[in-house]
Amino acid sequence: MRVEVPIGTVHPALIEPFRTRLWIEDETVVDCEITYNAAHRGIERILEGVPVLKAAMIAEKVCGLCSHFHLWNSIRATEKAMGVVPTERAQYIRVLVAELERIHSHMFFIGHACEVLGHETFVYRAFELREPVMRILFELSGNRVHYAVPVLGGIRPRANPSDESLAKIRAYVKDFEPKLEAFIERFMSDPLVMSRVTGTGVLKKADAEELYAVGPTARASGVNNDVRQQMPEYKPFDYNIILLGAGDNKARVALRCLEVKESLRIISQALDNLPQGPVLSDVKLNFDTGFSEAYIEAPRGELYHVLRVDAKGKVRNYRIRTPTPTNLASMERACIGDHLTDAVLTIASCDPCLSCSSRALVVDAKTGKEKVFDYASGVGCRK
Amino acid sequence: MIKKTARKKSVHAMLVYTGGCNGCEIEVLNCLFSPYYDLEQYRVMFTFNPREADVLVVTGPITVRTLPQLKAIYKCMAEPKAVVAVGACANMGGIYVNVYGDLGPSDQIAGPLEKIIPVDGYAVGCAPRPEEIINAVASVIPKLMEAKP
Repeated sequence: MRVEVPIGTVHPALIEPFRTRLWIEDETVVDCEITYNAAHRGIERILEGVPVLKAAMIAEKVCGLCSHFHLWNSIRATEKAMGVVPTERAQYIRVLVAELERIHSHMFFIGHACEVLGHETFVYRAFELREPVMRILFELSGNRVHYAVPVLGGIRPRANPSDESLAKIRAYVKDFEPKLEAFIERFMSDPLVMSRVTGTGVLKKADAEELYAVGPTARASGVNNDVRQQMPEYKPFDYNIILLGAGDNKARVALRCLEVKESLRIISQALDNLPQGPVLSDVKLNFDTGFSEAYIEAPRGELYHVLRVDAKGKVRNYRIRTPTPTNLASMERACIGDHLTDAVLTIASCDPCLSCSSRALVVDAKTGKEKVFDYASGVGCRK
Repeated sequence: MIKKTARKKSVHAMLVYTGGCNGCEIEVLNCLFSPYYDLEQYRVMFTFNPREADVLVVTGPITVRTLPQLKAIYKCMAEPKAVVAVGACANMGGIYVNVYGDLGPSDQIAGPLEKIIPVDGYAVGCAPRPEEIINAVASVIPKLMEAKP
């Protein structure tokens, strides 16, 4: 007998408002549907016709976990459109902040995954490791969440680190590495945690390729799609792209642990080779540009911004595609065939960040009709 | 007397996310799970059951689609209850309401929170620091104590 288990919109297992419908047969998940439009704020709509720098400021507020990536990518798209080249020191500091943010996002993910598992000690340990990163970012930029470091042509002068704060970051990196090693060793050898995550929520490589999974979700299944390889900002750095083949929950958690280590390597290289010089280049504003797009590797995967600047210096046709909507299909596929209790863990292990994803149009190819996902009225949902 | 003592020793807070950017949510969870802040030392426990909750911590600008859920959760809570608005969005609608673009204000935002339910505590900032959130939650505890049982 097929039974439907609806979870959400507001539910203990889900921090963010989204609805998961699971169809089960004898407690085995046979089908899954995720509906996620509850946090729709209409950001792309309000961005139409605001000045470029203001648009970048609001693009930052799309997501609190990867705010630097949104702002950086928005600035990159604008710089590409206007032909502005940022200074070298600014590029290094942008990468530095980005990798710090990747660490805190991944540590938050590990904490959240442990919370879903019900292992509170590891939640506390992950958050304990995460807190110094937040303090470093606070020291560097003056805010704990929205750092607002990049501006057009460089970085905000406030975020230009002095020798003192550089020494602080160095000391932190030195201090963090053994702690992280100890945490990973303890975490990956814990029989309780491993019994829950090993072999559950398997996403095969073929499925990941078919469903266009991005970011760590795809890399845990062995698909290499790290956008950092194509980014000129990451050219000077030596780092490895982690690929794991298993595609289960264990691989997804382990991959993030290993990525944090690589981020630490990038940070120490950026600190050692940080060039001297100005952090802001001479900006000559060119308006009336064509469409300009930029891709970036956010903690959850590929992030895409596209915009156009009109003759008055206002932003037109701003579109953002975040990694989570692309990964939703993978989450739905990975749940199937597992026990009911593993489903929420599988969804959490793909690290959904639905605050930035909330928009979707369903286009019926036959009639050309468009409709928006809306769980309240059931439009766009499966009957 | 027993009720009052019991209430004082275990204040239950519930987090409701109404479509913010995740920034405030992380900081609220940081208060709860980080050993640096640890709300439980002030005898504030975290729950996701509205019938158990004394304090409702609301983050986000209250999108139109989360409005019915928020009202339902507030109705479920037993008296005495208090509401804390965390973040610039919950306090004033945030930047999402109007940035004076060509298409005008966003019609997806039902906030700020004060228009919907009475608010007792405020934590301001984008995003507020954990200290401010703890301060705001602690500031509504006297209201719970003074309420008639």
